[in-house]
Amino acid sequence: MRRLQPSGAGPLAWCGILLATTLALFLFQHLLWLVLPFLFGLIAYYFLYPPVQRLVFAGFSQEAAANITVGAFALLLIVCFALMLPWFAAHAVSVQDTGQRYLQGGLTLLNETLRALEAQSRFMRDAHVADAVSSGIARAGEGFAQERLPALMLGVAAWLPSFLLAPFLAYFFLRDGRRFQRFLARAVPNAYFERTLHLLYEVDRTTRAYFQGLIKLTVLDAACLAIGLWLIGLSSPLMLGLITAVLAWVPYVGSILGCAVVVMVAATDFPGSPGVAYAAVGLFVFVRLLDDFVFMPLTIGRSLKMHPLVTVLMIFVGGAVAGVAGLLLVLPLLGVVMVIGETASIVAADPRLRARHAHARRLRLQSVTRDLG
Amino acid sequence: MRFFGRDDDHAALQPLRQIKLFSSLTARELKVVYGLRHERHYLAGEIVFDQGDEGQAIYAIVEGEVEILRAEGGSPHRLALLAPGEVFGELALLDQAPRAAQARALSDCRLVVFFRADFMSLLETHPKIASKIALALARHLGGRLRQANAGARQEGHL
Repeated sequence: MRRLQPSGAGPLAWCGILLATTLALFLFQHLLWLVLPFLFGLIAYYFLYPPVQRLVFAGFSQEAAANITVGAFALLLIVCFALMLPWFAAHAVSVQDTGQRYLQGGLTLLNETLRALEAQSRFMRDAHVADAVSSGIARAGEGFAQERLPALMLGVAAWLPSFLLAPFLAYFFLRDGRRFQRFLARAVPNAYFERTLHLLYEVDRTTRAYFQGLIKLTVLDAACLAIGLWLIGLSSPLMLGLITAVLAWVPYVGSILGCAVVVMVAATDFPGSPGVAYAAVGLFVFVRLLDDFVFMPLTIGRSLKMHPLVTVLMIFVGGAVAGVAGLLLVLPLLGVVMVIGETASIVAADPRLRARHAHARRLRLQSVTRDLG
Repeated sequence: MRFFGRDDDHAALQPLRQIKLFSSLTARELKVVYGLRHERHYLAGEIVFDQGDEGQAIYAIVEGEVEILRAEGGSPHRLALLAPGEVFGELALLDQAPRAAQARALSDCRLVVFFRADFMSLLETHPKIASKIALALARHLGGRLRQANAGARQEGHL
């Protein structure tokens, strides 16, 4: 009987964790049709988890609570969809026109800003920056419309059925999550059982904290942006706030895209006043700073307990290995791999646990060979 | 749905009824507790947990016997011999202190295991059930304390 508690994961284990996360991202890149619905299923699961827990608290069984919650949520979606469908059918053409109008508004603002800069700077004037950027965007737009857009639309159409998996996954996570955890635990040898189950709880706690933090962060971001945009005087501030907050799920790229959307709307709604667009950019930067320094540490940051340097490094690695999907997946994946890696390295490095497992195997062998002479 | 095995077999609750910690629970309450349990099988001589391990779970004996040993002066000294219906490792539910003794299966055993995290969530979701279990646990610990006091008196420490 010993008593030396093993310390935390060492540098080798940490290298393994970062490498495993990168490898997983590389593999996931080829399985996006499954990974992304799984991710959205997880987000839906953690979104619906609190009401399910409240129903369990009120005395319902886990199964009944999951059925009621998912049923009510599905009903709500169907009602919303039914209410939105006539409006969408009537405005489908104008929605497309509005998109083009906002895009044109954004490009006009960019062109005017560059021309204003050219007027101030001889260097920019000599380089014909405004003309170069305008023609570059026009070429890229034409190329995108002719070459990329059909493939993109086909890809979205092919992916749509796999996204239908997300609600089913969320439902089964809610209903059978605990049972699945026990099913996994049965495969673990007795010697490692207590530690491994603790690991499973930690993985669950980490992912739950991350996704619930993400949902809270989205609500806070959307509310701040909506209030700011409403004060500036932009149209549909709530919708814009929500779109930009959801886009921010993708680190860096999402934020830039969200900012671009807000600027395009501002430039189109107020064509003669670039000050409004600049105010929108200022608001966006302010909310981003608020997000990074106040909201994020209060929500997601606390859940992952990661060093900021590792977080930033892995975001870059995620983007380089698996593009936009990598940016989206890298943090939750790193959180899970980190918990698994840390615990696995502690368990594997514990000689007493290994000795106990070997002892149990010997006992099992003796018990099944007792009558064989 | 048979993939993970359904837990709604009424007869399956029977082993839990004989565990002292759950003796005051109704059938419905027992079903909630049943959903939280893990079941493990140990062979005679197999170690359930070691003295000094980080305790994460409480164990209850459904079948077989378990001995509780403490290393004193290099050699293990038996503190208790536990039979079906009894629980051990209960301090893990209360704190995260290291295990005070080693638990070893004396015969082939079937144990049910409850994790502290599950018990903590039970406190939030089903406070009535959790309070019944906590009361039974307090009684159980009181009994252990009385036993320890009696032992100390016999040895002339008190």
